[in-house]
Amino acid sequence: MTTSGVRAVCLSGLLAAWAETASAQLISIKTVPIAQGDQFEIFPSHNLAMGGVSIAVPDTLLDPFRNPAKGARLAAAPRFFGSPTFYGVSNGAGGGRTLPLAAVTQAGSWYGGLSLALQEVDPGRPPVGVAVPFVAQARASILPDVPDPGPDQGSHGNAYAFAMLGKVLAEPRLSLAGSVSWSRLTAVDGVDLLYPGSQALRQLGHAADFRVGMLKEWAGDRALEAVALHDRFGMTDDVTYLDSFWDPGTQRVLQRARVEHELDRTNTWGLHLQYERPLGASGWRVGWLATGNLMSHPKIPNYEIMNIPRDPGRSHAYNLGIGFSRTNGPATFGIDAIYEPIWSETWAEAVAPTETALGDTIPAGGKTVENHFRFSDAIFRMGISRALTVGSRAPAALLQLGLAARSIHYRLDQYDRVQVSGRNQVESWVEWTPTWGLSVRFPELELRYSGRVTKGTGRPGVGTRANGWALDASAVRAGSLLVAPSGPLTLDAVSVVTHQVSLSLPIR
Amino acid sequence: MIRTLSTISVGLVALAAGCDRSSSPAEPTSIDAALRQDLARWGVIPIGPLPAQNSALVALGRTLMFDKILSGNRDISCATCHQPSEHAADGLSLAVGTGGTGLGQSRTLGPGRQFVPRNAPSLVNAGLGLFYLFWDGRISGFQSGPFTTPAGSALPPDLPNILAAQAMFPVVDRREMRGERGDRDVFGNPNELAQFGDSQFVEIWQAAMRRVLAIPEYVTMFNAAFPDMPTSRLGFQHAATAIAAFEMQPLTKTDSPFDRYLNRDDAGLTLEQKRGAVLFFGKARCSSCHNGPLLGGGQFANNGAPQLGPGRGAGAPLDFGHGDVVNNEIGRFTFRVAPLRNVELTAPYFHDGAYPTLAAVVRHYNDVPVALRGFDVSQLAPALRSLYHGDEATISAVLATLDFRLRQPLGLSNDEQRDVVAFLESLTDPSARDLRSLTPAAVPSGLPVQQ
Repeated sequence: MTTSGVRAVCLSGLLAAWAETASAQLISIKTVPIAQGDQFEIFPSHNLAMGGVSIAVPDTLLDPFRNPAKGARLAAAPRFFGSPTFYGVSNGAGGGRTLPLAAVTQAGSWYGGLSLALQEVDPGRPPVGVAVPFVAQARASILPDVPDPGPDQGSHGNAYAFAMLGKVLAEPRLSLAGSVSWSRLTAVDGVDLLYPGSQALRQLGHAADFRVGMLKEWAGDRALEAVALHDRFGMTDDVTYLDSFWDPGTQRVLQRARVEHELDRTNTWGLHLQYERPLGASGWRVGWLATGNLMSHPKIPNYEIMNIPRDPGRSHAYNLGIGFSRTNGPATFGIDAIYEPIWSETWAEAVAPTETALGDTIPAGGKTVENHFRFSDAIFRMGISRALTVGSRAPAALLQLGLAARSIHYRLDQYDRVQVSGRNQVESWVEWTPTWGLSVRFPELELRYSGRVTKGTGRPGVGTRANGWALDASAVRAGSLLVAPSGPLTLDAVSVVTHQVSLSLPIR
Repeated sequence: MIRTLSTISVGLVALAAGCDRSSSPAEPTSIDAALRQDLARWGVIPIGPLPAQNSALVALGRTLMFDKILSGNRDISCATCHQPSEHAADGLSLAVGTGGTGLGQSRTLGPGRQFVPRNAPSLVNAGLGLFYLFWDGRISGFQSGPFTTPAGSALPPDLPNILAAQAMFPVVDRREMRGERGDRDVFGNPNELAQFGDSQFVEIWQAAMRRVLAIPEYVTMFNAAFPDMPTSRLGFQHAATAIAAFEMQPLTKTDSPFDRYLNRDDAGLTLEQKRGAVLFFGKARCSSCHNGPLLGGGQFANNGAPQLGPGRGAGAPLDFGHGDVVNNEIGRFTFRVAPLRNVELTAPYFHDGAYPTLAAVVRHYNDVPVALRGFDVSQLAPALRSLYHGDEATISAVLATLDFRLRQPLGLSNDEQRDVVAFLESLTDPSARDLRSLTPAAVPSGLPVQQ
């Protein structure tokens, strides 16, 4: 079993409100094509429906949540936002609903914003209970005496809070701002799928994110921004299993409960720089970005679906991107291309002195397995928008279309110090995300709808095979960062569909 | 321009995508992960505790186990063939029943006696809830009964478990404990148990019980073990119940390294043992028969064991095993797949004790036809060598119904065979290595215990 897939889910959890659209600042790492519900796509975005382009096309709604210094642009026209967001994973493999509310305002050179969100996440388990492997293997005449309560089908809630405060220091504009966000999490999407055979999962944790941002704008519409961040993600998973055992007294397979206490911790330090400027007077703009993340993973859970015992790890991830855009009258086109080189190292530690194949002993706490990942990921985004006029009024509607593709490619070199053996593995896949949107602008408010569907990913045990659970446990592998998938990957293809309706109206 | 860029960008995306997915196949790298998958696949789960037994019942059972009064000639007890010093077996290929002398591996046949046709299995862990008992599975049933036994409807109905049902039968077997017509016991008195016909189960049990209850100390012990049962209504089923209780309590040993591993202790097994376990559940195909919580015990198979001994039933001098019980040609030479806990301690192996070591057993399974045809009789005790049926007709008959899983060689290297043996040794509960403390100093009949 390996954790990977779950790890990806947790990392996206770590991204919290910044999720994929904020990937410029927090770099997401995945080692398996496991589907991640858009749990954290909760804040309003101008460009979400344009494939999420963001380097050379400002996203005035979302930018303040990425770089609080950019709140200065938004606060110039104080307003209130609401962006109810719904996502669902096909095959009944999960979903969620979120209601974020936000306000941004300005007082003199100071500006600030506040956002609160409540969320309900559905379990990702298939409706049919997942069999305990042991029991599934038992003779048909031997049935468990303990009633199977079945998987936990209830929804669980999360709460998010975000605040920012900034000041415009000088003209031409120089803004400095800080933000803090905090999330109380009792449900990270899809994690339940990664403990197959468990009967209940109780999640509790938090994500905290601290940012300091700077935005410098020069005449000529040139801008440089910088963000420094620290993010802490911590979850505790209490996983209840029903373990089967042979009862000699009754000659039957019975079951007893066992609770595993799994910790998931990741701390990230990051620095992000971005620059954009016009290209002549033709309406073209160009932008560049560069980001570095240092992550430490003091504890990684032993997900049941994974194959390799593991404990801590560390990663350093970078991205380099370039984007172009052109505004030509009512039409805007944007494109981003981002390359993400990532190095990640995880290892397993011996719980007790462990004998190796060479006959020597690894002391408790020594490394038993080392995983070295080398990623070459790429993100491409493109989108167009076209303003539509209705009658003689100013542009009253905006139609948006886009496409994002995320290519993930990595090589894993793994060394087993116990068996004194090594192997390598190369994995690659592409996730596709078409997007669409329509916004309608009235004099007193703006109403926006954005949708997206991500394909090319899957989830374990949600298909129709064997009631959703691969009979051959060895066939199910999932992994994300930090732990290597260790065998043939069997995920059932799913689509993740997200709908967001955002409402924006001026406060004054 | 926009159109041009759109085309370029789509091209870039397609180029980056390359193909939807590429993946190099890889084996599970964690031996624990691979092994735990195998364990789940083969239904190997931890063994729970046995229900606590009444101490008076266990004490009675222990005494009866070691008392030769239950044998027709008063010269053999249950424990003679299930010696604590031999891990509740006798260490012999074929058991030596009544008339024999000595204990353990030094036990020899008495004048004019024949070997018991089969190996005396260890009683350690006999109480773990096996569905079939005896090598040929002639006793079967769930703990709550009813039990299928050779006695049919003569079997008393109030036996609490299959182990008690099994304990009813050694005393009725002439070679094991009852003796032949005309035998006299160690005191020179007529053997009254031997005078009954082989199907007079009830009479034999009643006669054995009369012997036991003629001793006041036994009456006291029975009354303590069965306080609600009047002495006049005590039957041999109560003695068997007590013997079963003794087998279920001190003779249950399930704290082996493998058991610790099953209880999620990855350090329970050494690397060599884990490698052997992966082979056991994989390449060596052992688990196709030795599976489930007890690693066997639930089915019958013809494993190509060399035919050895006086034989039994319709096949004598061969031993058709379960095929004789079910009167079925297809089942000829099939025997109960032995459960493997503590197997290291229960040599020699197979239903007739043909192999003295686990290494020899694994070598046999590595290529059964070759091993059978090349069986080396020198590994047998001298007294048994003439009883080996190595003629071509017998070998061909055995191979004709050889289990299909054993017809092709396994191809295990010497190192792999050693690993499998290492795994089998991990099934040993250290506390099962020395059971001598279970031997009582004396028994109520006054008959010798240690001879």
